[in-house]
Amino acid sequence: MPLDFSFSCPLPNGVHARPASALEEVARTFTADVVLLNQRTGRSANAKSILSIVGADIRFSDPCLLKVSGLDEERAIAALGAFIRNTLPRQETELPTFTASEGELELPRCLEKSGAVFRRGTAVVPGIAQGQIVRAGGFNVPDGLPMDDVVDTLAEQRRVNDALDELIAWYGRRASAAGKGIESDLLVAHRSLARDEEFRACLLDAIAARHRTAAGAIADAEARFTKVFSDSENPLLHERVLDIQDVCAQLLQRVYGNETATRSLTLTEDSIVVADSLTPCQFLFLDCRLLKGLVLAEAGTTSHTVILARSFGVPTLVGVENIEGLAEKAQAVVDADIGVLVTNLTDTARRYYTMEHQRLDGRQAVLRNFGGKLATTRDGHAIEIAANIATFEEADRAFTAGAEGIGLFRTEMLFLDRASAPDEAEQHEIYNRVIEAANGRQVIIRTMDVGGDKALSYLNLAAEQNPFLGYRAVRIYPQFESLFRIQVRALVRASAHGPLRIMIPMISRLEEIRWAKKIIAEEQALCIAESKPFDKKMQIGAMIEVPSAAFALEEFCREVDFFSIGSNDLLQYFMAVDRADSRIASLYNPLQPAFLRLLKQIVDAARANKKWIGLCGEMGGQIRYLPLLAGLGLNEISVSAPAIAGLKAELSRLDLPDCQQLFAAALKCATADEVGVLLDKFSAQHSLPLLAPEMVVINADATTKEEAIKRGVDLLYIHGRTEQPRAVEEAIWKREANYSTGFGHGFAIPHCKSSAVNANSVVVLKFAEPVPWNSLDDKPVRVVILMVIHESDSATEHMKIISALARQVTHESFRESIEKEQNPERLCAFLKSKIGC
Amino acid sequence: MKIVAVTACPTGIAHTYMAAEQLEKTARKLGHSIKVETQGAMGIENKLTESEINGAAVAIMAVDIAIEEPERFDRIRKIKVPVQAAMKNPEAIFAQI
Repeated sequence: MPLDFSFSCPLPNGVHARPASALEEVARTFTADVVLLNQRTGRSANAKSILSIVGADIRFSDPCLLKVSGLDEERAIAALGAFIRNTLPRQETELPTFTASEGELELPRCLEKSGAVFRRGTAVVPGIAQGQIVRAGGFNVPDGLPMDDVVDTLAEQRRVNDALDELIAWYGRRASAAGKGIESDLLVAHRSLARDEEFRACLLDAIAARHRTAAGAIADAEARFTKVFSDSENPLLHERVLDIQDVCAQLLQRVYGNETATRSLTLTEDSIVVADSLTPCQFLFLDCRLLKGLVLAEAGTTSHTVILARSFGVPTLVGVENIEGLAEKAQAVVDADIGVLVTNLTDTARRYYTMEHQRLDGRQAVLRNFGGKLATTRDGHAIEIAANIATFEEADRAFTAGAEGIGLFRTEMLFLDRASAPDEAEQHEIYNRVIEAANGRQVIIRTMDVGGDKALSYLNLAAEQNPFLGYRAVRIYPQFESLFRIQVRALVRASAHGPLRIMIPMISRLEEIRWAKKIIAEEQALCIAESKPFDKKMQIGAMIEVPSAAFALEEFCREVDFFSIGSNDLLQYFMAVDRADSRIASLYNPLQPAFLRLLKQIVDAARANKKWIGLCGEMGGQIRYLPLLAGLGLNEISVSAPAIAGLKAELSRLDLPDCQQLFAAALKCATADEVGVLLDKFSAQHSLPLLAPEMVVINADATTKEEAIKRGVDLLYIHGRTEQPRAVEEAIWKREANYSTGFGHGFAIPHCKSSAVNANSVVVLKFAEPVPWNSLDDKPVRVVILMVIHESDSATEHMKIISALARQVTHESFRESIEKEQNPERLCAFLKSKIGC
Repeated sequence: MKIVAVTACPTGIAHTYMAAEQLEKTARKLGHSIKVETQGAMGIENKLTESEINGAAVAIMAVDIAIEEPERFDRIRKIKVPVQAAMKNPEAIFAQI
């Protein structure tokens, strides 16, 4: 007596490959036949075949009927029913999505007239790479292989059967060899396709019924299932076309041997691999030492190949047009910073990319200098500079950038944009990866700050009028206790693998921290009961972002081990200002004396009780505020990775007593403006000097005005004086559009005010060969004095020096001295003596 | 001759001051006495007083933008030139006096 079970599809993205393969895993353990009927379309599927399930095109809320008949039907229906109720809803998968770049392509000035050919694409893995073009991809049967008229169909079927079994076993071996991760997940997914009942039946049937050869049968299966996937209205399934092609290509190779492996490319030199689409396996078989860049015409906007390319750090463009016209073996550049594939590399284009490499390498060299060192003030006081991250992938990058720990891992990303919360295993795995990347350094993981503006569909929280003051973070934990417990358990277990500290967000009252500690203690007790290892000394801390906590810090000190100040929210709550509202954004100013006094009260209380205290808001990432924060007495500042090296460099120029004095003086100020003036004065004396020997280049090399300006701005980037060189360059060109800054007599003074400037700077470039400049006297330029000032600066010391410098350029004797001097240190000293700094 | 002048360029970082320097240098060379007010990124510097303006024979306005307090110059003869002119060929400006 057949049994059935009806349900409606709970998956927002429909039944795509991952849920289908999970269902197949359950169904195949029973001997009974399992048929899945999509009542909307009337299509029925064999539930023991992923391809068949996928072909039923089941979408969100489609009414479905599962029919089971056979010897073990009762056990089967019970297991399948439980699976559909409990596990299926959690089989949602999220692939990263990329949005295509819009608007006009803006090339850097140096490339505009270069004569090179640009093909626009969407950059999905950043970076710049050069190499020769190598074409790849797609599934096709090599010419000359017979497709039809098999005589001995049984022998042909046996060949395919054996090859398929061999392939399935091979996938299994490779998957276990690959360990955990994307590569192994992928191989397992391919194995499921290879052992699919429908797939095998389709192959064998083509041979028996139509006398196709193995090659013909594989080509038919490829065409048929590719169509199933690409016809689906589910975009997630379009991606799987690549997987089908991969399995078919592998099978073809197994049947006919390596001579058919035309698609597995052997790279011989630095290469840019170009393909309509590239399967993940094809990617994995490329020699990653020679694979410099990847260009895909298709690949939709999400794909496993892109995920792989990202994990290998291969600069990648997708959606590139007209790749048919690309010549094999031609030199090309993948510029995934701008989002173009560059061919027909003219001298100008080559020079530009040589300069780009010098810029990036130059920055790396400077970063290595500071990133590798522990952050200390000039007089030797350590302040940890740690990183804020939101995904585990960022951890490696943060440590490469010089992070001394993770000061804030925001875990809410794990919970957002999905149908259900991540389970303990998934969370444990992710926390572990961060701890592994930290390699013994401290990691602070903040429990989820969800609710409020970060709504989760599966929590069904009502929308609120004022989400920032509402039901979020620690406030929702008691209602969703099991969700919190799962996270705590994953964290407690992860603590066995390295130094891990838990931080609770949005603490406003003592009761909240006591409650969280109770849950943590209970989960630790459970771990003891289950003999699971964990760190018994794992520290528990509170994020200080609600002002009330600042006034109860003595009591908090008795409950927690550490604090981290979330300065963004703390300032918003303290000043009662929504910083997104431009009309009142000026109130959101961390230099408010009242706010500085609040910070002092917090830090003093923590230190008096010997508690470690850090700061993890945006305030910490701004070099301008560093002297104040150093003077405040923090143990740690946690910032986004790109800011780390710059902060370390700045800190190494500061003396702690100076910073303490500055902070004390700031506390006595009446207004934020007064603090600002104080800070500017301090910065002018202590921060990066306006003029420095490393900002002077003798024998600089440029053939055009565009290149000369780029050289100057690149130097600013290399030495951490800007993070956005192209924005600075554009600001200079905008000024240049008024009229040329070529003063005459071989001197030019390009300049700008820009918010992209981190440190007011003067660059002096003396060119070996004069550069055309459309100067006032129409003569080429031998000396460029490039001056950049931060947008907000007006009456500062630096402005006075720059104006004095500009006046000096009009004097012949001044110009002569500069032309004569060939030593950067002496030239710098001369300039300083002339303009009084 | 007593001359007053104002210089002001769009960015107010460099050319305002270069033009001022050029006017001062050239005036000295030609034996005139000059006071140049700059209106740059630092605001008004070396500000001309009412009596200085009234006591001058002419005002050179080397400006590319609208200046602050222009009414001070309502009653004096003005020579208006682009900032660039003051940098490129200041002598030509003085020739117009």
